[in-house]
Amino acid sequence: MELYSPEGLRIDGRRWNELRRFECKINTHPHSADGSSYVEQGNTKIICMVRGPMEPAMKSQVNATSSTVEVNVSLANFSTFERKKRSKTDKRITELKTTLERTFNECIMGHLYPRTLISVTVQVLAQDGGLLAAMTNAVTLALIDAGIAMYDYVSGVNAGLYDQTSALLDLNTLEENDMCSLTIGVIGKSEKLALVVLEDKLPLDRLESVLAIAIAGSHRIRELMDMEVRKHGNMRLAKVSV
Amino acid sequence: MITNRKRLSSGLSVTSKVFVRSRNGNALKIVREHYLRNDIPCYSHACHKCQEIVKPDAQGQLPKFILSSSPTKTKDGVSHYVVIDTNIILHAIDLLENTQCFYDVIVPQTVLEEVRNRSFPIYQRLRNLVKSEDKRFVVFHNEYNEATYVNREKGQSINDRNDHAIRKVASWFNSHLNTENSPTPIHIIFICNDVDNCTKAKQEGIDARSLVDYIDSLPNGEDLRDLIPSDIVLPGNFEGDQNETVFPEYYSNARIMAGIKNGTLYQGMLNISSYNYLQGTVSVPAFKKPLLIIGSKNLNRAFNSDSVIVELLPKDKWKEPSSTIIEEGSIGADDNAGDDEDDLGEETGGVVSDKERVFLAQEAMKATSSKTNESRLQPTAKIVGVVRRSWRYYVGQIAPSSVSEETGHSSRSCFVILMDKLLPKVRIRTRKAKEYLGQRIVIVVDSWPSNSRYPNGHFVRTLGEIESAEAETEALLLEHDVEYRPFSKNVLDCLPKEGDNWVVPDMTDPQDPQLKKRVDLRDRLVCSIDPPGCVDIDDALHARVLPNGNYEVGVHIADVTHFVKPNTALDQEGASRGTSVYLVDKRIDMLPMLLGTNLCSLKPFVDRFAFSVIWELDENANILKVDYMKSVIKSRQAFSYEQAQLRIDDPTQTDELTNSMRVLLKLSKKLKQGRMDAGALNLASPEVKVHMDSETSDPQEVEIKKLLETNSLVEEFMLFANISVARKIYDSYPQTAMLRRHAPPPATNFETLNDMLNVRKNGMSISLESSKALADSLDRIVDPNDPYFNTLIRIMSTRCMMAAEYFPSGSYGYPEFRHYGLAVDIYTHFTSPIRRYCDVVVHRQLAGAIGYENLDLSHRDKQRMEMIVKNINKRHRNAQFAGRSSIEYYVGQVMRNNEAEHEGYVIKCFNNGIVVLVPKFGVEGLIKLETMGDLATANYNEDKYELTFTDLKGAQRTVAMFDKVTVDVKSVKDEVSGKRRAQLMLR
Repeated sequence: MELYSPEGLRIDGRRWNELRRFECKINTHPHSADGSSYVEQGNTKIICMVRGPMEPAMKSQVNATSSTVEVNVSLANFSTFERKKRSKTDKRITELKTTLERTFNECIMGHLYPRTLISVTVQVLAQDGGLLAAMTNAVTLALIDAGIAMYDYVSGVNAGLYDQTSALLDLNTLEENDMCSLTIGVIGKSEKLALVVLEDKLPLDRLESVLAIAIAGSHRIRELMDMEVRKHGNMRLAKVSV
Repeated sequence: MITNRKRLSSGLSVTSKVFVRSRNGNALKIVREHYLRNDIPCYSHACHKCQEIVKPDAQGQLPKFILSSSPTKTKDGVSHYVVIDTNIILHAIDLLENTQCFYDVIVPQTVLEEVRNRSFPIYQRLRNLVKSEDKRFVVFHNEYNEATYVNREKGQSINDRNDHAIRKVASWFNSHLNTENSPTPIHIIFICNDVDNCTKAKQEGIDARSLVDYIDSLPNGEDLRDLIPSDIVLPGNFEGDQNETVFPEYYSNARIMAGIKNGTLYQGMLNISSYNYLQGTVSVPAFKKPLLIIGSKNLNRAFNSDSVIVELLPKDKWKEPSSTIIEEGSIGADDNAGDDEDDLGEETGGVVSDKERVFLAQEAMKATSSKTNESRLQPTAKIVGVVRRSWRYYVGQIAPSSVSEETGHSSRSCFVILMDKLLPKVRIRTRKAKEYLGQRIVIVVDSWPSNSRYPNGHFVRTLGEIESAEAETEALLLEHDVEYRPFSKNVLDCLPKEGDNWVVPDMTDPQDPQLKKRVDLRDRLVCSIDPPGCVDIDDALHARVLPNGNYEVGVHIADVTHFVKPNTALDQEGASRGTSVYLVDKRIDMLPMLLGTNLCSLKPFVDRFAFSVIWELDENANILKVDYMKSVIKSRQAFSYEQAQLRIDDPTQTDELTNSMRVLLKLSKKLKQGRMDAGALNLASPEVKVHMDSETSDPQEVEIKKLLETNSLVEEFMLFANISVARKIYDSYPQTAMLRRHAPPPATNFETLNDMLNVRKNGMSISLESSKALADSLDRIVDPNDPYFNTLIRIMSTRCMMAAEYFPSGSYGYPEFRHYGLAVDIYTHFTSPIRRYCDVVVHRQLAGAIGYENLDLSHRDKQRMEMIVKNINKRHRNAQFAGRSSIEYYVGQVMRNNEAEHEGYVIKCFNNGIVVLVPKFGVEGLIKLETMGDLATANYNEDKYELTFTDLKGAQRTVAMFDKVTVDVKSVKDEVSGKRRAQLMLR
């Protein structure tokens, strides 16, 4: 299979600058968490639940000036194409967890909630590339649902470079395995990045084109999330006014 | 299983879910998304709608519309597009590449993917066809198109579903172009060789035809019929009704995999012996000695240089390598190619023909009678599978004996004898066998079923009369896989628009971007020294004395990379050609003429861009300082070696230029001495030069190449520059610097030669401890009575050496960079970018290293570099072989006119013949025992390398290794292979 054919089509039929199907819902688990969301980015499916701000169970988690964000990531055994058990201390999971914690510590207005803990649980149901990006989006939505003050949306997407020349947006697993890719999280409509992760080598002179397409993609995702949030908000408003 | 179809803003989405059982019994879940869209154009100029829906790709390019609005017509005047099926591409790719048919072809994506899964090389050829645009091939992504996507129905096999998808493409194009839009009707023809698929297509109202029917419907169908591959015309017709297996079947894939895993089977490349086409060797890492494969049954249909799987034979069948010469010409030349009844009787006898059996019997007798030392025994093996065929285009000619006299119009089988005598002859079917007699023809091998004694192939095209210079030249270029077609238009488009009028911009204008960072060296007294008549001058030199008494020496190399930018069509073409090829009467350029002989060539009296290496050297040629820079130079004079030599030797010439050349000569001698002291080898090859008559361009005489002091002057400084540059780029790019290494020869290579020297020349030997020791020992091997003997040994040692190779620096450790022949620790090629691609890469890397420009990514990526290196190593080798065979051919032509007796040396001894090298012509030839004397009384003493026999006059005679003999040299045309070669007769 050609990852990117000379005719300009990718392995799943998209063009270079097209996102995968993006669907999201918020307030999916109103009874079990303060905020919750469900995100599908292509075949990557994620549930996220937020509890807090609440009193930390451990003294060590207390920060006198700001809130503490704690992220727990769990990947379902059936999320990849082969069933596989992962230990909780898997290095990759720890890394995802730390990355998310750092990103959202910066984006939440923590000074409003001193001495509290915000606990985020991310459950991955299916993986098909763009895991970190989808997680970022899910966490953003769940935090919004929980009513926690943030500076703006953090919308994530990944992008890669095919054959050192063509930048491709929103890679799936097949593409991710075969090319260098980076994941970004953009703050709102700006071009500020709350998150950049690049684990392979990417030629410096191509970085700009990859970043440009990724930022454009993130803005589109922010719009889609915003539509969902507003739709949900209107629905609740309608209920209250009745 | 398709779960849902959902409309999105950008198109449709289908999610497909497939469950596959994995090896250990667990279920694997493969879920893939598949997006369908409505913006895939039909690429036809005749269409008005699709122009509006196109979208740009990642580079911002809009898709080009390729299919012509007035396509080619059939015999009945129907203009048509063609949709092709997978089996047509897999079997008849040559026909698709043919320029006489198949224009405006639509390749459905389904077909493309099937081709890719079945054969990657064919896929690449197809992709190249699409890319080159001149045959108007397009890939239509039907799987992603809303209108042409088909679901797999319940119980439908994947193949049936794909066939359905392909048919859908044909019917979609039909309705899209004809009923919906185009003013002129364009017929869609679906070509498919699957009967079932054809019938279904016809039911759906598609004009489906088999390949044969389609070719017949073309105006030039008659000429094209012979080009249809044999297995498509009449599948299985060669076998007749003969069912007996002639060759053992290959093992199944599973068995081969298991065998390799548990160590009972081995994989390697088959090397057929050049003296015995029934004997081959396979080198396998598991064994020190190569595995011998003897006899056609054990060779089991493998071709020379196929990648094969072998199985070891029991130890009692281990043998010594045969010391008998067997050529295919002598055996089985009279076999009948036809598949008539009476022929079957003979063929059922098995693989071994009578003559062959005689040889084998002699072999067996020898093996049993002479129970010599065990150590000579070599493990033998048989081939049980072929991993990858090395099949390509082959050049040969029809064996006259296989053409029947009848003048029927139906196609008949005949044999084609290939030019490469290591390969078996090939059976083809053609109606024009008689026309092709006496011509060089190109064929392709299609298959070799186990019940056929010979492989089956088909005719591609004819090159012309045998022995006409054009046909022979083209044949040898094809045989050595040299790309000789003129440069395509998109390559030529990369050249500067000014063409021949391009000039170096004015140096006084500092704003010019071309001149930034370039150094003006036009005041230096630069000159070039090359062979007479050289037009592609890629190097020039200068020297001057500095005020402090040291010397400034500069080597200036044509700045090819100024014109050849990475990732252009021009660059890709150069990379794939890899090197220029020099034949006696022709030069096949790596880069277009305009660059090679004009814009890059450092012609005298004009400004040229150059890449300069400038050293400061002291009196003893030690480097004090070295600088690399892109520059502008102006050569003062272009000398030939002789002119330069005369000028230096003439004491009345005292101008500055001559003096600077004297400085260069003085320094070059010091450099050479230094190299020799370090142990550089002075090896020899029997190089000759052919003089051509200037009027008729007929070859006239052969001359052994002469070397002047000025030759070595240029050579020394080029080596010097190469070494300096190698260090610099390795410094900057430790992983990907393009370097050249020459591995020390393994001791086993010299075993036989040393043994021969020891036996025949009283204990002389070649020492192998270091290159220095080798060089010294070569100097010691002299025969006081024969000055040529030393050269002979040098020639023979050269053949024992490893070949030098290009490599990216990351693939070896630093100690292994060593160039054994030149005795330097690091080396590269920098000085001939016009004719070698390696130098182009090195130029770019050096430009990157000195900060002139950014280095292209492809030269910074280890994997890409590996690919480049692999290709240029291959091209380099092929170019050498092609050059040699060209000389061989012309030497043969020269000898045709002057037969004489000459001195020769015995360089190989067999029990039924000897090989003699004639230094005068640089040719070597086989003298068979039967032409020298009586076969029966001959006795070959293997330990002493002596062949004793009674000659034709009845006298006892002994010929031994290294003996100087007098031979009659004449050139004869081999009737079977049509090749002219030197025939030697012992006096």
